[in-house]
Amino acid sequence: MFEIVIGLEVHVQLNTNTKLFCSCPTSFNHKQNRNTCPTCLALPGALPVLNKEVLHKSIMFGEAVGATVNRTSYFDRKSYFYPDSPLAYQITQLYTPVVEHGVLELDFEDGTHKTIRINRAHIEADAGKNIHEGDTSKVDLNRAGTPLLEIVSEPDMRSADEAILYLKKLHSIVRYLGISDANMQEGSFRVDVNVSIRPRGDEKLYTRVEIKNINSFRFIQKAIEIEVKRQSEAWEDGVYEDEIVLETRLFDQNKQETRSMRGKEEAADYRYFPEPDLLKAIVTEEMYEKYSKIPELPDAKRDRFVKELGLTEYDANVVTSTLEMANFLEEMIAEGATAVGANKWLTGELPARLNNGMTLETSPINSKLLATLVKRIEDKTISNKAAKDVLDYLFENEVSVDEAIDKLGLKQVSDTGAIEKMVDDIMVANADKVEQYRGGKDKLFGFFVGQTMKASKGSANPQVVNEIVKAKLG
Amino acid sequence: MQIDDALLSKLENLSHLHVADDKREEIIAQLSEIVSFVDNLSELDTTGVSDTFSMTDNGTLTREDTPSCNTQVNENIISNSPKSGDNYFIVPKIIE
Repeated sequence: MFEIVIGLEVHVQLNTNTKLFCSCPTSFNHKQNRNTCPTCLALPGALPVLNKEVLHKSIMFGEAVGATVNRTSYFDRKSYFYPDSPLAYQITQLYTPVVEHGVLELDFEDGTHKTIRINRAHIEADAGKNIHEGDTSKVDLNRAGTPLLEIVSEPDMRSADEAILYLKKLHSIVRYLGISDANMQEGSFRVDVNVSIRPRGDEKLYTRVEIKNINSFRFIQKAIEIEVKRQSEAWEDGVYEDEIVLETRLFDQNKQETRSMRGKEEAADYRYFPEPDLLKAIVTEEMYEKYSKIPELPDAKRDRFVKELGLTEYDANVVTSTLEMANFLEEMIAEGATAVGANKWLTGELPARLNNGMTLETSPINSKLLATLVKRIEDKTISNKAAKDVLDYLFENEVSVDEAIDKLGLKQVSDTGAIEKMVDDIMVANADKVEQYRGGKDKLFGFFVGQTMKASKGSANPQVVNEIVKAKLG
Repeated sequence: MQIDDALLSKLENLSHLHVADDKREEIIAQLSEIVSFVDNLSELDTTGVSDTFSMTDNGTLTREDTPSCNTQVNENIISNSPKSGDNYFIVPKIIE
């Protein structure tokens, strides 16, 4: 009965070496307030100077989403009073952002697509961090003044699933471009969700509610579902007008609810005006030429994997969804594994073993190791099943693939002489069953194959065993 | 623009300042005077003139992305703040 309308705002922390308007380093594992200076501490007389690299990364993003890169953009001052911003305002781009009117393509599992419009991407400065302790709050301004690119979508998404697809695609583009670490847990990819509902068929946009403070894709999905439920129930109960107001709400993952941040709304009177300490930001043709060069993006890489490597569209979509996986696959192929074999182990067996927060990057299995494993299956040194045991062993032991195979005694026996000997022995030991088989009990075929595999401790090539058993039983 | 008691209260709220009761009328009068002085600009006919945000057509300067930071300076600043400890600025509790 209701249609869900979702728009997303994503704050991407740009991975520059220095802050947006001063030369302080942007590394965060430094001692509190070490990376500060008169500019980011807002001492009188200190003035902002724009970091060229921020324009560079913003232009790259604009290019990646087919957006307009404004040759002239402006900075504006957004006033707010909080200890995490010693300026008592944030420098942002309200009226003319650097990037406008882009698009992002969603790919659904059934092969259909949908285009989501990106309204804008603007440059702004991040705030510091507060730590609350008893009656006081401690302020660390190392992050204050770090460059953010805020990417704002149009309200084009119609379900939580679409919102998550959009975010994953955006995340992957940002990572492919290398303009941000885009780590949700560490706050370098922060998502605010705008949600409203409307009766199906209605074109009007109703009151939107902004949900902040959600730091994983799973929680975002949950927060949207919970907020949609709240709004739909209010509508059905006839209290929509009273209960659903334009406001910011927090998602509480423990209580599984969204909660009003009304206090914040009352104080929100940002009094935007053009930033007097900065002139307009100009992107010259020369800069645009130089900065708009971008690496291969997920969609292009996917299409290439389908065309050149023979992966299915589905597999190619999965493996190109993160830059780490796509690179891993290409490295494995360079090591001599086949694309299909490499893809199967990279997207199947390997992730199944990544437990306790282990990732592709932190796992002990590098691309060379996994490629060698796949090659050993492909040259029939080991069986597919044995390879799983080898992979388990490699997680625990720092050895080469061949050492692991030797150690586990899993080398596949394709030597027909050795297998024939085993089959002969088994037939002698089970003469009665040989009789029964020859008398028409076909099911016993499996018994002989099983016994042979067992005798070889699983190392016999099953295909060869099958052929020999068949030949010998006659 | 009309400056009244309600607007003054809003400004107090936004600026985190408190204006004493016996000063309110005087402040309202002064603020009104300031605003009406700026209002003189409205006499100019700006029809057909596009918005201008600065007196120059130049763009803002940019700098290379090379880090530098003098920790002596920020330590100095912290030690001169009203309250600090363990290299943090310390402020009254601000959480809801």
